Amino acid sequence: MSSENERIKSALEIALEKAQKLGALSEEERRRLRDEELVAVGEALAKRYLNGLPLRDIEVELGRRREEDRQTISRNLLSRLVDRIDMEHIAGAERILAAVQHLSGDSGVVQSMRDLLQGYESAMEKAWRENRSVLEAARRNELELKGISGSAVDPAIETSPEWLQIRQRLDSHYQERLEEIKRKCKNA
Amino acid sequence: MKLVDNFYAYLWPGVTMAEMQRYGNNCNSYVVAQALPENKHVLVDPGMVVNEARQDCLDRLISEMGKDGLKIEDVGLILNTHAHPDHYGASEAIRKMSGAQVAIAKGDDDFLKLARGEMAQVLKQMGFEMPEIHPDFYLTEGELRLSQDLVARIMLTPGHSQGHISIYWPDAKVFMGGDLIFYGSTGRVDIPGGSAQSLKESIERVAELDIEYLLTGHQYGSPGIIQGKEEIQKNFEAIRRYIFPYL
Repeated sequence: MSSENERIKSALEIALEKAQKLGALSEEERRRLRDEELVAVGEALAKRYLNGLPLRDIEVELGRRREEDRQTISRNLLSRLVDRIDMEHIAGAERILAAVQHLSGDSGVVQSMRDLLQGYESAMEKAWRENRSVLEAARRNELELKGISGSAVDPAIETSPEWLQIRQRLDSHYQERLEEIKRKCKNA
Repeated sequence: MKLVDNFYAYLWPGVTMAEMQRYGNNCNSYVVAQALPENKHVLVDPGMVVNEARQDCLDRLISEMGKDGLKIEDVGLILNTHAHPDHYGASEAIRKMSGAQVAIAKGDDDFLKLARGEMAQVLKQMGFEMPEIHPDFYLTEGELRLSQDLVARIMLTPGHSQGHISIYWPDAKVFMGGDLIFYGSTGRVDIPGGSAQSLKESIERVAELDIEYLLTGHQYGSPGIIQGKEEIQKNFEAIRRYIFPYL
């Protein structure tokens, strides 16, 4: 640092010099970065919706965006919401379906999903009704052989291997059909 | 340590403040020895595997049981009075060692689902993780018949939790109260599912029983076992007078 011209550069100046040497982003790179940003926006909106944000507020958020960005965000939002529909959480599905219908405009595919979920619920209830007493009797018998019985004993048959097998069969049958409808919905 | 007949008590240290600070939280565990075929034991409220003070609670229980000639591999049934992790936490670990059947209070199943679902994140931030439990059966109000003509009365005693049960062994006049009642105090009622009114009603119900050994869930500054009908009734009276007004 002997002359006045050789001063200590700030970290910002060094960073800017390095950045200049990298050169400008290509059009493709710019587009890719933009798309990544918009995907993240779509994901964040999906999370907020699932945490209780009203649909009209989603519309307000989307309305603030340029048309081309809005479409990308909506597509990602729709995709994230569709991914969250599953048979384990049918109670929460209706809210998601309402948003999916609004975003996709396809009431047919949404109704198919609704019908499938309701069908699954009914099939599960029916299987439970038909098998419950047999499974309960079997479990009680097992416990009695181990010296455990009495009116205070309420067998936990939902964890019995037999019930899990029945459930597994129903799950795979309905899951396959659900995935098909979800694919259709995302590609609409 | 042996209590009476084939009842054994394993109390978690916590009578003095120094003990509580050093050993942290865990529950008292109780064993009814040779209550099942092949001389298998019944274990009530196994406690945790490791607690927040990094105490090896399960190892300690195994060691203490060993001093009485009882092996953990010979536990045939685990009964949990309620679904708080400091009581049921070691159930699955013991099942792996012994093949024991596991039971928990039926009414606390909802609490378990909530704790593993919506509440899981909140609990994690507070440093709690709900251990896994896969009950073979649930306990509801009624009779629990074990081999060797041993009969226990399972009583639904909500208050500390919604589905909390207590276990009364009428022949031995032993009462295992979980976190319903302690020496000079009661279980807390501020955890989700708790209810002061239910707790009071449960305690009044239990006060009518013929009890010689009242076995509590924690020592929290006082002895974990109250012995003698008169002492037990005095305890109930003290709780009515000095604790009920604040619940």
